[in-house]
Amino acid sequence: METTTLVENLPHVTSLGVIIKAIIILAIISALAGFGTYIERKVLAFMQRRLGPMHVGPYGLLQIAADGIKLFTKEDIIPQNANKLIFMVAPIITAATAFIALSSVPVFPDFTIPSWMPIIGDTFVPAIASDLNVGILFVLGMMAAGLYGPLLAGMSQANKWGIIGAARTAVQFLSYEVVTGLSILAPIMLVGSLSFVDFNQYQSGGIGDWIVWKQPVAFILFLIAGFAETNRTPFDLLEHEAEIVSGYATEYSGMRWGMFFIGEYANMITISIIAAVVFLGGYNEASAIGWLTIMLKVAFFFFLMLWVRASWPHIRPDQLMWLCWKVLMPIAVVNILITAIAIMV
Amino acid sequence: MSLEQFKNRNVGTQRYTMLDLGKDPQTPWCKVRQVIRRTFKGDLLVGLWVTMREMFNALFRGNMATLKYPYEKLPISPRYRAIHDMLRLLESGHYRCIGCGLCEKICISNCITMDTRYDENQRKEVSEYTINFGRCIFCGYCAEVCPELAIVHGARYENASEQRASFSLFEDMLTPIDKLNLQKEYPGFGAVSPDADENIKQTPLAY
Amino acid sequence: MSEVQTVETMITIKIDGIEYRVKEGEYILNAARANDIFIPAICYLTRCSPTLACRICLVEADGKQVYACNAKVKEGMEVTIDTPAILEERRAIMEVYDVNHPLQCGVCDKSGECELQNYTLELAVDSQSYMIPDTKRETANWSSVLHYDAGLCIVCERCTTICKDMIGDAAITTVKRGGAALDKGYKETMPKDAYSMWNKLQKSVIAPSNGTGETNCSDCGECIAVCPVGALASRDFVYSSNAWDLTRVPAVAAHSSGGEQIYYEIKPTSIEDRSPKIYRVTNEWAYVSLDGSARFAYDFENRDVYKNEVAFNAAVEAFQKAKTIRFNSMITNEEALMLQTLKEKMGIKLYNPEVRAFQKFLKYYQAASGNSLWTTDTDKIMKKSDFVISVGVALRNDSPAMKYAFNNVQKLNKGAGLYFHPVGDTLIPTFGKNVEIFEHQVGHEEAVLYFVLDFFADKEKLPNEVKTYIDSFKKTRTKVIIDKIEIEVKELVRNEESGEEEEIIKKVTEEVEKEITVTHNGLIELLGADTSDFETTFEKMMKKKESFSMLLGEDLYYHHNTENIAKLIALIEKTCDIDVVITPPKSNALGVALICDLDDEQSGYTVGYNENADFILSALGTGDLDIPALNQQEGTLCNIGKRVLPTNAALPYEGYELNDIVKVLIGGPELTVDWTSKLPKEKGFKAIAFDALPNTFSNAGVDNRGYRLETHTIDVALPEVEKFDEDATLQGQIAYRCNPARQFNDFTYKCHEIFEPFGLYASEEKAKTLGERVEVIFENGSIVLDVIADAKITGDIVKIPDFIAEKDVYTLFGDTARYQTVTLRKV
Repeated sequence: METTTLVENLPHVTSLGVIIKAIIILAIISALAGFGTYIERKVLAFMQRRLGPMHVGPYGLLQIAADGIKLFTKEDIIPQNANKLIFMVAPIITAATAFIALSSVPVFPDFTIPSWMPIIGDTFVPAIASDLNVGILFVLGMMAAGLYGPLLAGMSQANKWGIIGAARTAVQFLSYEVVTGLSILAPIMLVGSLSFVDFNQYQSGGIGDWIVWKQPVAFILFLIAGFAETNRTPFDLLEHEAEIVSGYATEYSGMRWGMFFIGEYANMITISIIAAVVFLGGYNEASAIGWLTIMLKVAFFFFLMLWVRASWPHIRPDQLMWLCWKVLMPIAVVNILITAIAIMV
Repeated sequence: MSLEQFKNRNVGTQRYTMLDLGKDPQTPWCKVRQVIRRTFKGDLLVGLWVTMREMFNALFRGNMATLKYPYEKLPISPRYRAIHDMLRLLESGHYRCIGCGLCEKICISNCITMDTRYDENQRKEVSEYTINFGRCIFCGYCAEVCPELAIVHGARYENASEQRASFSLFEDMLTPIDKLNLQKEYPGFGAVSPDADENIKQTPLAY
Repeated sequence: MSEVQTVETMITIKIDGIEYRVKEGEYILNAARANDIFIPAICYLTRCSPTLACRICLVEADGKQVYACNAKVKEGMEVTIDTPAILEERRAIMEVYDVNHPLQCGVCDKSGECELQNYTLELAVDSQSYMIPDTKRETANWSSVLHYDAGLCIVCERCTTICKDMIGDAAITTVKRGGAALDKGYKETMPKDAYSMWNKLQKSVIAPSNGTGETNCSDCGECIAVCPVGALASRDFVYSSNAWDLTRVPAVAAHSSGGEQIYYEIKPTSIEDRSPKIYRVTNEWAYVSLDGSARFAYDFENRDVYKNEVAFNAAVEAFQKAKTIRFNSMITNEEALMLQTLKEKMGIKLYNPEVRAFQKFLKYYQAASGNSLWTTDTDKIMKKSDFVISVGVALRNDSPAMKYAFNNVQKLNKGAGLYFHPVGDTLIPTFGKNVEIFEHQVGHEEAVLYFVLDFFADKEKLPNEVKTYIDSFKKTRTKVIIDKIEIEVKELVRNEESGEEEEIIKKVTEEVEKEITVTHNGLIELLGADTSDFETTFEKMMKKKESFSMLLGEDLYYHHNTENIAKLIALIEKTCDIDVVITPPKSNALGVALICDLDDEQSGYTVGYNENADFILSALGTGDLDIPALNQQEGTLCNIGKRVLPTNAALPYEGYELNDIVKVLIGGPELTVDWTSKLPKEKGFKAIAFDALPNTFSNAGVDNRGYRLETHTIDVALPEVEKFDEDATLQGQIAYRCNPARQFNDFTYKCHEIFEPFGLYASEEKAKTLGERVEVIFENGSIVLDVIADAKITGDIVKIPDFIAEKDVYTLFGDTARYQTVTLRKV
C-alpha cells in the first residue's frame, strides 16, 4: 500500500518520539483550549460590538492565565449525594478521550530534535502520534466514547438538571454519530482508505483536488454533525443554560469543570482538523507553507464555530432529533448511494 | 363600563406592524419544503452576515459600544436622582441648610434625621444630619421641598460601600469648602424653575 | 356646708342667625367658643382679662361693632361675626402683623403651630399694602429658662397678661422699642382699628418689668406656652426640634398637687441615640396653667434600666421580712393601693411622713364638718370667687394652683384677699390693691381662724361660747386723741393809715385734747395689724363681694393643735359663707391619704419606695432595685381639684415594677393599671378601668379628665372648738420647712432645667447677717446649708427645703412640725 511506502521513507518512529509528541499535543492543545476561550470571548464580543476581556494583561491576553489560576485554585466541591467516584472520573473521561482522539490526527509537522540536546537528541517526532491505518475510524470512535464523560457526570451528580443533561448527551451524541459516520463514508469511499495520510495524499494536487468539491453535501453534513458532536451552539443542548442551568456540568466547579472545558475545546480542534484534512486538502507534505495552510484551515473552522455561536439561536431538542433523523441521515444515505453509483460507473 | 371594556388593554393609538410570517406548515411535506426553502434562501447566511458586519463596524469603524466604565463614564441627566449633595452658599461658603426639617418631614421612607441646636451666633445650626441610604428610595421629595436649595440629588450613583453609614452624614454630602468653586448650581430636581422670577409677587418693602 | 353647685343663668343669643344658649355675663367670644363657633382672636386668653391688643375679634353685636373679647352677652343679642367692614378691618390687621415679620418660618421654633401663620392664611392675606422701616430688635435670655426673640414678637401681650392675671408674677411688660413713626397718610387710608393697633405695635416690645433684663420670676414658663408665635421659647428647647417631630403623650404634672394637664413631647434623643427623650412639656394653656416644676421638671426618668433578677429577688426577700414600707407622695393611686394591700395581707406598716399629717388633718376635718372632702377647688375659685383667704400656706412655694387662684381672683373677679402667714412675702401684695397681708406669729393659726369667724361668721349661728370668746378680745377703750379745732379770735389792730383801731376776726387752729371711745379688736393686734386701719380697709375690701373662699395649707397639718384647727375650719364653713380648699402637700398626697392606712412610726426592717431605708426601691436609679419614674408609668393621680387623673408613660421602661413584686408576694393582676378599677369605692373612687378614663377639656374649658372623686356630706353638730393659747408661739430663730418654687422632691432636683439649689432661703437682710454658709442646729440634729437670699421673703424666718430625701429634713423638723426653733451658726 502507498501508506507503507510513505512510512518507510520517513525516519524510524521511536516510542520516545511518540511520548514527546504526546506531551507536545497535551501541552499545546491544552494551551490552545485556553487560548480558544479567550478567542471565543473576544470574537463574540466584537460581533456584539463589545470589547471583551481587556483588563488582565495587554488586550486582556492574560485573562487565560487568570482563568487558569482561578480554575486550579478553586475548591473542588463534590455534592453530598453524588456518586463520588464516577463524579470524579467523568471529567477525566471527557478530557482523556478528546486527547486520545488527537493522537491519530496530524498535529504540527514532524521534526527531529537537534542532536545537541541530551537524552532526547536525534529523536524523530512524527506529525501524527500514532499513524493508524484506520485513523478516521479511531478518531470517530474515540469521540463517540467521549459521550461517557457528560453522560456519567450528569447521572452521578444527583441533580435533576444533570440528569436531563445526561439524557440529552446520550440522545444527541448517539444520533449525530450516525450522521458523522455516514457523511464521512462518501469521502472514504472515494479515497479508499481510513488513514489521514492517504486523504492528504489524495488531495495533494492543489485546490482543485479538494474533496469538498466532489462531496459538498458530505462536507455540510459533516460540519453540522460536528457542531452537534462538539456540543456547540446551535446544538449545545447538553448544558443549555437557559433551560437546564448547566446540564451535566451543573454541580461541577474548579478544575473538574475545567476538564470538561478543555475536552470540549480539544474536540473542537479535532473536528476542525478532520474537516480540514478530509475535505479541504489537508497539509502539503514537507513544506512549511503546507502546515501554515492547514493551520489557517483549522483556524477558519474554529472561527466558524464562534461565528455561528454569535449569529444563530439554539434549537429545541425535538427539532434537533427531527433534523438528524428526518433530514440529515436520509440525505447522507442518499449521498452515499450517489457516490457509490458514481464510483461504480 | 363592561368587563370586556375594562379588560381591553389596547387603549391609545395602536401602532403595531404585523410581520409576514406565512402559515405554519401543516403536513410533513410542507415542513420539508419549509426547511429546503429556508436552507437555500440563505436566511442563515444573513445571520452570519449581520454578525460579521457588526464585528467589522466595531473593529474598524469605531462603532464599539463598550464604555470602559471605571475610566469612562456616561454623562447623566441633571434630573438623575443619586446620592444627595448638600450645597454651600457661593458667597460666604456657609452651608445652605438652615435645619428647617422639611426634608425630614416629607421623607416618605423616613430616612432623614437631623439634630439641630441654637448656636453661638443665635442661629439654628444643624449639628448633625443623616440620610439612611439603606432606606432612601431616591424619590427626590427632599430636594423638591427644600426652601434653600440646600439639598439636591447629586451625580454620585456609585454607592457600593463597605458599610451602610458611608456617605450618609452631613460632611459626606456637603460640598468640600476647598471645592466651592466647583459647586454647580443645580439645574435638575428640586431646582427653581427658570421662570421663577416672574412668579414672585413683590411686597412693598421699599426699605 | 355642702358642695356649692354653680348655678348659672342661661340666656339666648343669636350668632349669625342661629340661636345659642349661653351663660349670662359671659364675653361674646367665650360664649361662642363654648358653642364651638370660631371667632378669630389672637390676644385674648380665656381665663384672663381682655387685653384688646389685636382687635381682630371685632364682631357686630346689635348693629354696633364691638370686640368679642370684652363685650358681654345680653339676652336676645344678635351677633354677626363677619361683615364686609369687619373683614376689611381684620385683613388690614393681619397685613399689619405681617409687616416686617421675619420670614424665618423655616427655622422658627413654632414650626407651623403659629397663630400668625394660621390667621394670615385664614384671612387669605396674599398681598401687603403697608410698609415701615424695621427696627433692630435683639433676642434676649430673660432667665435661666426664658428665651425671647423680639424680632418675632407681635406684641399681642398674651405673655404679659397671663403673667399678671394668672401667675401673679407680673414679671414682664410692654416697653417702648423706638420704632419709626407711622406715615400720617395711613391714618386716612387705613381701617381705623388696624391703624391704632399698628400704632401701638410699632412702639412696643416686651421686656422684664423690673427693668433689669432679668425677670426674676418663678420661671413657670407659662408665657412660653401662650406665645402665639415663636418669640418666646424655653432656652433649652430653642432650635432643638420641630413641633411636628414631637409625639405628644398626655399626662399629669407629677410634682405639685395641682395635677395639671400636660403633654410630654417626645422624640429620639439624637441621631446616634434613638431612645426617646422628652424635649419639652406643653399644656392646654387656654384651660390650665402650669407651674415651673410641671413645665420644666420632666427629665426625671429612670434611664437604662434592665430586668435585674438578682435585685428583684432581693427585693422580694426584703418585702417578705419588712416590717415597714416607707414611701412618699410621688406614687400613683394604683401603687398606693398595692402597698395598702400588702399592709392588709402581710401586716407591713406603711410610713409616710409627707402625707401622714395631711391624712390626720383630713380625718379631723371630715369628723368635724361631715364633708368627706373639701368643698371647693381652685378652678371653681377662679371662676366664681371674689374674696379669698389664705391660711397656713406659703402661696409662692407650696401650691402653685392656689397661688394662681388667689391672684386670678384679684385680677379677674375684682376680688380681695387676706393672706395669713408667718413668713412675709413681697409678691403677694402685688396681686391686687385689695390684698392684705398678716405676718402673724408662728402658732397663732387658731387666732387667724377666730379672726375669720369674727369678721365673716353669721353671728346668729355661732355658738355662744365662741361668740363670747371672740368678744373677749374686743375692748372698748377710751382713747385720747388730739383734735384740731378752729377758733375765731377777735383782735384789735391799729390801722396805720387812719390810726384807728379796728376789730378783725382771725381764724386760729388750736389743738385740743379729746376723748373718744374705740373698739379695740385684740385679734387683729395679735395678728400684727392695726385695728382701726384694718377696719376701714376691710370695709373697702368687702364692697360688692359675694363669694368667699379659703385656701388652707400645710402649716395647719403640722400645727400643735391640728384637731382644733380642723374643727374651727368646720365651724367657719358652717357659720360663714365660705368654701374651703385644702391643699394636699405634694404630688399624689390626696390619693395616698385616701387609699393608705398610714402608721405614725416606722420600726424594724424597712423597705423604702423612693425613700431612705434598709432596702430601697428607687426611680432615681440610686436604690437597690430600679422602679419606673412617674413619666415612665401609667396610672392615676388625685389632685387638689378632687379629680382622679390618668397619666401615661412617656418614656419606655424595661425593668421591674412594684406590681411585679406584688404579684410574687400575694398575687395580683397582670398590669399596674388593672388596679385602677379596684380603688376603694368607699373613699370616693369609681370602678372605672384605666383605659376608659377620658382625658380632655371641653371647648368651654370644662375639665373632663378622669373623674371627680365622689364626695358626700353627713349632718353633724357644730363642732366644739377650743380656745387657743395666745402664748403658744415659737420664739427665737425660726426655721420653716419650705421648698423653693419649682422644687418638690428628688425628681425635680434631678431635672436639668430646674436650677433652684438646696439651701437656706432667707430675706436679703437676713442673708447678709448670716454670711455664705450656716449650720442649722435642730434639737435632734443639724444640717449645713448655703445661704440663698430671696428678695421676695421678708422677716426673720428662714426657709429650709425638704426636697432631697437623703437630707431627711422631715426628721430634723420632728415629723409633726413645719416650724422649728433652731440655732443658726455661721460656718
